[in-house]
Amino acid sequence: MTGKERILTALSLGQPDRVPLYIHGINEGPIIGIGRHLTDGLPEPKQFHEMDPGEKMKLLDTLFLLHEAYGVDGFTSFEIGHEVEVDAGHIKDDWGIVYARSPHGLPVAKGHPVTSAADLDAYRPPEPDRSHLLLLDMGRERFGGEKALFWLMRGTFVRSWRLIGMENYMINLRADPVFLHRVARMVETYNLAQLDMLVAAGLDVLVVEDDIAGTAHPLIAPRHFREFVEPYNRNLVRRAHELGLKVVRHSDGNLWSLLDTMLESGYDGLNPLEPQADMGLKKVKSYCGDRICLLGNIDCQGLLSDGTPQQVEDAVRTAIEDAGGGGGYILCDSNSLHPGVNPENCIAMFEATKKYGVYPDA
Amino acid sequence: MNLSSIKQPVIDGDSKAAASAVTEAMAAGAQAEEILSHALIPAMEDVGDMFACGEYFVPELLMAARAMSAAVDVLRPALLSEGYKAAGTVVIGTVHGDMHDIGKRLVSMMLEGSGFNVIDLGTDVPAGAFLAAALEFDASIIALSALLTTTLPAMESTVSVLRAAPLGRNVHIIVGGAPVTDEFARRIGADGYAPDAPGAAALARRLSTMPVGIGKN
Repeated sequence: MTGKERILTALSLGQPDRVPLYIHGINEGPIIGIGRHLTDGLPEPKQFHEMDPGEKMKLLDTLFLLHEAYGVDGFTSFEIGHEVEVDAGHIKDDWGIVYARSPHGLPVAKGHPVTSAADLDAYRPPEPDRSHLLLLDMGRERFGGEKALFWLMRGTFVRSWRLIGMENYMINLRADPVFLHRVARMVETYNLAQLDMLVAAGLDVLVVEDDIAGTAHPLIAPRHFREFVEPYNRNLVRRAHELGLKVVRHSDGNLWSLLDTMLESGYDGLNPLEPQADMGLKKVKSYCGDRICLLGNIDCQGLLSDGTPQQVEDAVRTAIEDAGGGGGYILCDSNSLHPGVNPENCIAMFEATKKYGVYPDA
Repeated sequence: MNLSSIKQPVIDGDSKAAASAVTEAMAAGAQAEEILSHALIPAMEDVGDMFACGEYFVPELLMAARAMSAAVDVLRPALLSEGYKAAGTVVIGTVHGDMHDIGKRLVSMMLEGSGFNVIDLGTDVPAGAFLAAALEFDASIIALSALLTTTLPAMESTVSVLRAAPLGRNVHIIVGGAPVTDEFARRIGADGYAPDAPGAAALARRLSTMPVGIGKN
């Protein structure tokens, strides 16, 4: 089987030849740390925007190389080229949202162009820009159909609160629900338009990346989730299925009180299943493994950072035992391979998936 | 004084009604500190309990905190004239390199709702800034937040800097945030850890009654 076939079989709740391996996200530091096992000439770890053009190309090439060398079956792509620098510490995207750069990971939304219905009346959202799909294009060209192409699309909640501010979003659940629905519809329109572009560009799997929960509880009440968030995400799922894609739902945190609603949305996969948030594989598989493919849950917070390669191997074996039976499971990190993970542990995760993931009747 | 007429608007997150209820109570002769201690602070404790058991979520916590704040704004002149002393002063911030804000903001609100003066330093706060603020405002508690696993080293080094200063022997240090654990808090020398905003407020209340160095979580 190719990696793409493996991924799509698992997302269809089938049993491929072996448990597929997938990386949800990976930062520059781990790309370089893992890449040093494969190639020379890599820069010292630093953020992409700090690299010169040669270093950037080397980093991207190494990203593709590690997918090939370690047999990662799916490739994650996302928007690039949609941000401009405001100053050394801040960037702005095409929605007008200002982000503070973080040396430890993704930029954090800090400046929000729409704070009220009046602002929204005057606001013009961006149109999806084909050039922002560059990473997807590069992945398609590099892997030539061998690996499943994933795209991280910000979902309704994340795009909405980034646009209007988190506190402002929370307050308007009661103060001005009509405003929130208008924002959500605007986000949906954008996402649906981008979806058409993504399909034309050869996408296989849409990831609705919409973090909605903390470690213990969702950020908002389930009733608000059912009204303000998931109906709009559900429209994405429906359209993506019409266009022939598989769809994975991503959210950190404890999703138990939202899970039935998410299952009704028809996602093909659920990711990343944080172990610290009571999203253990055995428990989730038992509850809904016959309805949705599980993607996760190798701990990137503690184990992949501070554990040993042997402990990682043991965790992979256990994960496959807990969730791999009958298929419908894709092994991946419990969030991003962030700058704090140990590259050797990441390699241990990749290799253990191959070692323990072959189905007996494959 | 009908305490429930003051508590309930806070619990419901109704800022206007909370302010009105306090105004009426004061007009009826209630003391400001009595209203604060017997109605408003217990209202926020109830809100914290509802959050802990999954009945309330971040928006409800936020609205309740805003209602509390509206009520305290009405009380403030009277509190000053009565010579009211806050439960203590807390300096709070997200550690150096970490830009996340919402969790810390909730903790700030809950601390204010528990009767503390709160000095919120924002995000990406160097250790020296915590120290300087704690000295300037005579803080009894320093609260550190980190939302990323990769900023935990900054939390550890901040605690080290604080403990190495003379201030470090005279202040409680509490920590929190998604990747923080009780074990980590103990290891780095913090006095306590809380998993959420109501827990942080409860921890601060408990520590404020204890001498420094004894308030282990």
